[in-house]
Amino acid sequence: MAGFDKWTERLSRGVARRTSRRSTLAWLGAAITGAATIPVLPVARAASGSPHGGGGAANAPLVSTNPQDPGDQTSCDYWRYCAIDGFLCSCCGGSASTCPPGTEMSPITWIGTCTNPADNRAYVISYNDCCGTSSCGQCLCNRNEGDRPQVRPQSNNDYNWCLGTQSSVYNCSTAIIVGVALDQPK
Amino acid sequence: MKLFALALALSASGSALAAAPAAEASFPKPLPDEPIPVIETLPAQWPASWVMVHDLHFGSILDGRVMIVDTASPERPVRGMVRAAQFANMLVSSSRKEILTSETFYSRLTRGERTDAVTIWDMGTLEPKAEILMPGGKRQQSVTYPQLFQFTNGGKWALVANFTPAQSVSVLDLDARKIIAEIDLPGCAQLYPTGQRGFTSLCADGAMLSVKLGADGQAVSSKTIEGVQDIDKQPLFGTPAWVGQKAWFVSYYGQIQGFDFTGDVAKTIPGTFNVGTAEGAAPQWRPGGWQVIAADAAGKLYILMSPNGREGSHKDGGTEVWVVDPATKTRVSRIALRATATAIGVTKEATPRLIAARTDGVIDVHDVASGAFLRTLGTAGGESPILITVP
Repeated sequence: MAGFDKWTERLSRGVARRTSRRSTLAWLGAAITGAATIPVLPVARAASGSPHGGGGAANAPLVSTNPQDPGDQTSCDYWRYCAIDGFLCSCCGGSASTCPPGTEMSPITWIGTCTNPADNRAYVISYNDCCGTSSCGQCLCNRNEGDRPQVRPQSNNDYNWCLGTQSSVYNCSTAIIVGVALDQPK
Repeated sequence: MKLFALALALSASGSALAAAPAAEASFPKPLPDEPIPVIETLPAQWPASWVMVHDLHFGSILDGRVMIVDTASPERPVRGMVRAAQFANMLVSSSRKEILTSETFYSRLTRGERTDAVTIWDMGTLEPKAEILMPGGKRQQSVTYPQLFQFTNGGKWALVANFTPAQSVSVLDLDARKIIAEIDLPGCAQLYPTGQRGFTSLCADGAMLSVKLGADGQAVSSKTIEGVQDIDKQPLFGTPAWVGQKAWFVSYYGQIQGFDFTGDVAKTIPGTFNVGTAEGAAPQWRPGGWQVIAADAAGKLYILMSPNGREGSHKDGGTEVWVVDPATKTRVSRIALRATATAIGVTKEATPRLIAARTDGVIDVHDVASGAFLRTLGTAGGESPILITVP
């Protein structure tokens, strides 16, 4: 046991040496406040409409009545979905900002920054997952700009982030406005 | 039950009355009775044309499955199925004649008490033989990465990746049917079996960490190999092509990097090279898909390529497979697929075949030498075929 403790200590020291405090903080922050959403479905927008994941938006457009929030909320191209990955809750009984009935919203989320074409402001978008009901299967949307391998969890969308919930079963993803970004997105 | 059978018999005789007597005359003897019940079994040694296609089952992820597919049999490609629930991982061992699935369940399907378990299935009957419970609800759930569940110690042990999001590895003794160790792995992901007993993992700073395990499954030593990948500029797909204990990785931009996992510490194989480029891209050729690199028995590599390579295209799938020889670092040929594919595999048949799982769910078979399309297996790989395992 003492040998193992020594080994763990060596490992921890090695990791500490290899990882800057800033990146550790960034990772912890991502893990605690929330990191990437969804189970990521490696079938991109290009493939929406394929049998994978139940296909793309077959629905008629669901357009907000607010001219400051333009676009079809069942379409992968809707401005808030710039970093989303999964089934759109707007097609599943919820909306861009709410979970469907009977699900639980994951407290762990991935935050993206998307520009609203109507007011040209950059908004911070929280991609909270809805969990506890089987895959919605509607309106699969997978965008991978900036996605990196699993070795960097905070920028990888292949993890199932239904983590802080009673059930890890994934249903769909929301895209909730949580503020105006201070800086313009890249 | 008997009443039900009687009802069926009555209904059948009713339709027989309506049939033309001439038809009966053509076939004087009725078809023989057939025994009930008969359950198929699979051969102890599966033919080399058989592969396992993991269906993540996006439309109902908690009900994932692995399809057993005979790629030589377009008329009867599906030979059976094994459960692979809720972001499962799968291992197969021809020597143990076992399939292993690492899964998560809830007592009320989507809710209730969580159970993580490895189930051991017989390769001949596809029936479960045993299970190893993994308490604590830690098992990593991800879109299907093979390097989250791996053998080590000559196939006597299995390694299971955990993510809560704290990262660790559980070491399972498959004969004793129990967890024998758990090793913390902060900052590192994916498991590449290394040496006789151990593994290597990729770390968030671009390093690799090789961990040697003792006879009791505990870590006895570790070694960091610095700077094996530049995650920002040249990120590697996490799933490599294996040639024995050597593994060939490809980057998002087509750079090939080999690692040797034969010893206790992973070694970089010197001399990276690029798969090259070609005309007809918009804007450029890049690897694309989920399982984008495979190897044949001779060590040639097959890379799934997309002509629409750009930032974020790395999971979009590819329309061609480029064959490269790592010995000469040159491209040998290009194989045009019939449609965009997500995953590729190469069989170990005397004449190897390239298996492509398309994004529309169809499985196609090509000849690796000529690139010619040979046959389609339809949707034998299930709803969302994402990974091809050649046993």
